[in-house]
Amino acid sequence: MKVKFFGNIRDITGTKEIQINGAASLRQLLQQLCDKYGKTFNEKVYKDNNITGEVIILVNGRNVYFTGGIETALSKDDEVSIFPIVAGG
Amino acid sequence: MSKILTISPDKCTGCRSCELICSFSKMQAFNPKSSRVSVLAFEDMAVSVPIMCMQCEEPSCMKVCPVSAISKTPEGTVFIDGDKCIGCKMCVSACPLGNISFSTVEGKIVKCDLCEGDPKCAKYCPSGAIQYKEATPSNLSRRKLIAEKFKELFGEVTQ
Amino acid sequence: MFGWTGTVLRVNLSDGTIKKEAINSKDATLYLGARGLATKIMMNEVDPKVDPLSPENKLIFMTGPLTGTFAPTSGRYVVVSKAPLTGTIGSSNSGGHFGPELKFAGYDGIIFEGKSEKPVYLWIDDDRVELRSAEHLWGKNVFETTDEILKETAEDARVACIGPAGEKLVLFATVMNDKHRAAGRSGMGTVMGSKNLKAVAVKGSKSVEVAKPDAFLEACEDARKKIKEHPVTGTGLPTYGTEILVNVVNQVGALPTRNWRDGGVFEYAEDISGEALREKYLVKNKACFGCPIGCGRVTRIPEGRFKGFGEGPEYEPGWAYGASCGVRDLAAICKANFICNELGLDPITMGSTIACAMELYERGIISREIAGMDLVFGNADAIVELTRMTGMREGFGDKLALGSYRMAESFGHPELSMSVKKQEMPAYDGRGAQGMGLEYATSNRGGCHVRGYMTSPEILGIPEKLDPLVTTDKAAWLKTFQDLTAVVDSSGICLFTTFAIGLAEISSMLRAAVGWDISDEEVLKAGERIWNVERLFNIAAGFTPQDDTLPLRLLKEPLPSGPAKGKVVELDKMLPEYYKVRGWNEEGIPTEDKKAELSI
Repeated sequence: MKVKFFGNIRDITGTKEIQINGAASLRQLLQQLCDKYGKTFNEKVYKDNNITGEVIILVNGRNVYFTGGIETALSKDDEVSIFPIVAGG
Repeated sequence: MSKILTISPDKCTGCRSCELICSFSKMQAFNPKSSRVSVLAFEDMAVSVPIMCMQCEEPSCMKVCPVSAISKTPEGTVFIDGDKCIGCKMCVSACPLGNISFSTVEGKIVKCDLCEGDPKCAKYCPSGAIQYKEATPSNLSRRKLIAEKFKELFGEVTQ
Repeated sequence: MFGWTGTVLRVNLSDGTIKKEAINSKDATLYLGARGLATKIMMNEVDPKVDPLSPENKLIFMTGPLTGTFAPTSGRYVVVSKAPLTGTIGSSNSGGHFGPELKFAGYDGIIFEGKSEKPVYLWIDDDRVELRSAEHLWGKNVFETTDEILKETAEDARVACIGPAGEKLVLFATVMNDKHRAAGRSGMGTVMGSKNLKAVAVKGSKSVEVAKPDAFLEACEDARKKIKEHPVTGTGLPTYGTEILVNVVNQVGALPTRNWRDGGVFEYAEDISGEALREKYLVKNKACFGCPIGCGRVTRIPEGRFKGFGEGPEYEPGWAYGASCGVRDLAAICKANFICNELGLDPITMGSTIACAMELYERGIISREIAGMDLVFGNADAIVELTRMTGMREGFGDKLALGSYRMAESFGHPELSMSVKKQEMPAYDGRGAQGMGLEYATSNRGGCHVRGYMTSPEILGIPEKLDPLVTTDKAAWLKTFQDLTAVVDSSGICLFTTFAIGLAEISSMLRAAVGWDISDEEVLKAGERIWNVERLFNIAAGFTPQDDTLPLRLLKEPLPSGPAKGKVVELDKMLPEYYKVRGWNEEGIPTEDKKAELSI
């Protein structure tokens, strides 16, 4: 599946987008990403076995809050986007 | 070793929170014109610089004061004794940086006194552009460099 | 008085008289200040049916009780008048340093009446207030005008002025202060131009005092700390500015693309994003007066045909010129935005009007002869050139100067104007965020995102996560957001604080500043009162529930792609509920009970 990073998450990952396979749920995906990008990513995105309050995670454009949260099921055609919480106007 | 105010113009966003809190701590009201710190904006260069008394090693203001109201404390603060001051404003003219002034609102000569060791501008600066830290050889020399630059800039804007 | 200075200036431009008046303290308590108080003055003194560009309309500059204090983001003031673009009450607020300076000069606000025979500007130097000739400034752009006035008055004065767009009565002209900050929407600069008022310059040396200094400092410290610690106001906005929203709104499928024709996903969003802006053109962050956030962007296009230096773009202008015009060239977008600042144009309406013209062109309704260029979506040079031409009212720009509704109507297709009450909607597609749809339909100044900002819960999840695709509870949420926003705008601080602080913190600051003994609920009630008075002004101006609607495209054409695919705005579900939670009758009119409850 495709995973996209935005804002200062990119500063951690050093890339805008990756292809990654094998995760059946958002939890599994985040664990994979934490292994890949280390402690900073871990603290920013996935703490205490859950999504932190500092990020917005979308699966196919839907906030995962409305699709099952951390247990949201994923398949290989899904697109996951990870944003720092941001705002503007 | 004593602490000094250091300025990082690159961090300053020009919000003037320092002017607000300075006037408030001195007179319990908000009045940037009576603030002991002023933020100068050089728009074309996208630079803004908070500037206040640099507590000079050899203060011109102290030298010209006819009644010796200005002295240097052991901590390094250039201090004005309000009881001695006659309000002649010689010091205002003497300061090469324009950092000492006569406040019409308060009716006296005013300048930064480092808030008796707890400068509010540094405490509340949201971007870290003003900091109060130990005077180390490196930040002292940096501070002198900045002071020299201000002298040049000021020469241009106040002539 | 505390918080307020207690004095307003009344300037009659027809006969040149200038009076100092005490503010009505009862109204100030009920309507807080800035947006609320100025609206109340409009209601008291101006016939809502007045022609906005006639001498009988008034133009009010007003600050709030927190303006010029240590309250975070205390740099705000508002300009209120009847709006020429919409015919509704117009109000538009701005940051920078002008508003606080007005208070330091000793005034809460200025009421302009009548019309000057010749161009003038107002110079306020503490107690000395005078009208000066502005004939030599007429025709000059915002930057030239500001520099010239600073030379003539004082180097450290603050200037709010109009550019050529306001002089030439472009219907969406801005009032620009401190060169780059805009009271942007509703055409407040147009009203200023109609009065031959080129500028207001002010310099002040007085103090703004608060009733309870210790409590006030404590409340401000608390608010500042929360703002600093919140990821949005402490990190996101300072690092990326408002443009950071481009990617997230695009990903949720609510970034209106090509005049909202192609749905809410722009394939080149990344090119015009806050991330791209930071990487390519950002010089420095810049903050307004007293602001710990510092979302302003100083930007420079170093070379090429769009070379330039200035501020912005913010998210909405970036979208209007970018996704809405199908343009992916960020340099062109920055340049067009710079020109808006120079000439005094609202970039949201400007970009959206060009986008509308592009759709008319692609449909063959506007010919190449009329447009004077190949006006297809994606034409980067067109957005820059047409912005300049509109500000100067040259060629086809003269047509665009009417805004998208009147322009499209003149070609027989008003339905292609993406506007509400003739003001262009900004950068969130209501089909992908239902609450935003309702917000546009009910905003008291027409299509607008900062009279409630439902984006915050629907897309960003602040303060709670609301599903953007459903209509449930949106009416009640919107009411609360609208009322709270009215409080913020009337206090003299910036809406962006509300990502980190809320009613409790704002009320604490107000109480300590003014010396009030009122509850948080009463403060929110003042917000509701302000909202209702604005509504009553619009009703008296002739607006009906039929005007609380959206372009047909949003009601009938389902989004073609993205996560909100197949959705339209379900306004028919939400609007009756909204009237109900507002305590209005089925015609959308505040009931007598509601008016009594609000002491209107």
